[in-house]
Amino acid sequence: MRKASKTFLITSVIIMTLSGIGLYFYLKQLLQNEIEEELFSNKDRVEHLLEQNPNLLGVPPIMMAEKTEKPHKNILVDTLIYDPLQDEIELFRQLSGTKNINGQEYKVTVRSMVIESEDILSTIVFMFLMVIFLAFIFLFYLNKSRNKKLWKPFFSNLERLKKFSLKADSPLTFEDSEILEFYELNKEIKILTSKIQTDYRNLKQFTEDVSHEMQTPLAIMQAKIDTVINDAEINEVQFHQFSSLQSDISRLKQLNKKLILLAKIENDQFTANETISINNIVEETIENFKELTSIDIQLKEQNTINIIMDPSLATVLCNNLLSNAVRHNLNNDRILITIYDTKLQVINSGNETLDRPDQVFERFYKESRRKDSTGLGLSIVKKICDYYGFLPSYRFRASTELQEGQGKHIFQIDFNLKM
Amino acid sequence: MKYLIAEDEKDLQISIAKYLSSDANICETASDYLEASEKLELYEYDLVILDINLVTGSGLVLLKKLKKQHKKCGVIIISANSSLDNKLEGLDLGADDYITKPFHLAELNSRIKAVLRRGQFGGNDTITFKEIRLDTLARSAYVNDKPITLTRKEYDLLLFFIINQGRVLSKAIIAEHLWGDDSDLLDNFDFIYVHINNLRKKLTKEGAKYIQTAYGSGYKFIAD
Repeated sequence: MRKASKTFLITSVIIMTLSGIGLYFYLKQLLQNEIEEELFSNKDRVEHLLEQNPNLLGVPPIMMAEKTEKPHKNILVDTLIYDPLQDEIELFRQLSGTKNINGQEYKVTVRSMVIESEDILSTIVFMFLMVIFLAFIFLFYLNKSRNKKLWKPFFSNLERLKKFSLKADSPLTFEDSEILEFYELNKEIKILTSKIQTDYRNLKQFTEDVSHEMQTPLAIMQAKIDTVINDAEINEVQFHQFSSLQSDISRLKQLNKKLILLAKIENDQFTANETISINNIVEETIENFKELTSIDIQLKEQNTINIIMDPSLATVLCNNLLSNAVRHNLNNDRILITIYDTKLQVINSGNETLDRPDQVFERFYKESRRKDSTGLGLSIVKKICDYYGFLPSYRFRASTELQEGQGKHIFQIDFNLKM
Repeated sequence: MKYLIAEDEKDLQISIAKYLSSDANICETASDYLEASEKLELYEYDLVILDINLVTGSGLVLLKKLKKQHKKCGVIIISANSSLDNKLEGLDLGADDYITKPFHLAELNSRIKAVLRRGQFGGNDTITFKEIRLDTLARSAYVNDKPITLTRKEYDLLLFFIINQGRVLSKAIIAEHLWGDDSDLLDNFDFIYVHINNLRKKLTKEGAKYIQTAYGSGYKFIAD
């Protein structure tokens, strides 16, 4: 709408200027013709008077008559003449010509002041411009207020569209508009959004349902394997195969668990928010990990971070970050965890930067083909961060000369607190 | 002990019953809400394994009914739904434990025994296996009445072994029992190996050699 106003403004200025210039030249031409016509008729009048009175001298400097020997044609020129009455030099339009009256050649010169006509001209142009300018301002504001009224439903609907969330339970409602185009636009958007909303809900429900429905068959498989291992006489190879089946089942179980967790975060089912200390959670997580891995985990706490969130989600967040670090660490290098400012940083060693670092927080993004990774850990981290407005980030620091060998994968969560 | 297994999936029901009855327990089964409800009214059980989603009704309703009758009966809920709300609801209604599908039968067995041990269902705080005695309240172990020092994990391991005696336990099952969900972090099961080895050494020193290797990578706790 602002653009439309701007176009309107520019066009008006151009048209105004052009028509102003055109009018100026047209009027100037008109006045000049008028002056010249007047000069010719004045000359005729002087010549007519000369016929009756040969000694007429005229009214200098406007009209003059003198005897001459050389006849010449009429000449129209501009000339500057000092006017003693006004004590200044003025511009005159001059017509001079000769005329044979009663056998004697007379030179008749008539002049008219041009300045006055120029004044008239500029006044006319000025008036013209004033009128157009006022009309323009009036139209501009009229247009603007009209537009504002016309576009009001559009803008209020745009606001609603901006605030629209897929997760919202209520469908998008629009302000009605009498304008056909807006009405149709609203109708189409309404259909589109409600379709998207339904699809989204179905998809979410589907993930949840599948995850839940899968648990029972998995339980049966698990139980049957347990039974076979204990009952039947099997050999070592078969036992190995059953064991590996068991670990596959447990991978599926983990996958399910994580998908359900993701769905639950999306469904806003974590409402037990309380003030917790990230430091404590990290310390507990490290304690747990020490039972499971021989990798040295070092914690540097520069300050404490207290934050309001669901404690179980905080645990999941730290767990997933740390387990990612443990999983992808190289050669049992030390894992370094730092808490500083509003940030939690987890650093593990690695050979090279990821192929697609921007996708590291995506679902099922797997850089390494490690069998035991579900590819969901970091996407849960991201989901939790999104939910609470934290800022997760990843970067890779290549190995320096001081620290030869590996580079470092650095994962960082900025808890985005105003300190 | 007498158990009722209320589970609508026949296969799962049979597997559970088979696993549990090998300890000389009596296992009865119910495949739907009505059958379970009927059996609970007619007979006395020490423990009910209750699936929440029974085909013809909710296990939670059954649980409410059961608690109204003030029967001295332990209840373990099994459910495909791992959500916390569901779990809390079950426990609030008086269930003694809650286990999410899929689970290992050894894990279920260990939960059952824990529930029974909590006294009021006729169990007691002492578990004996030959010369080994475990005091589950003090979490301490004795061989021939001589106390042996065990770490927390070693104690848990020994308890798990004794409860699931005679069964083959793979490292994955043991890992899941000891570390729960975190067990998927284990790159390999070296850690379990360390714990089992330590426990084995401590027991062997006292002359109790019951931990046997089965099929190369599994374990079995058995009296020779």
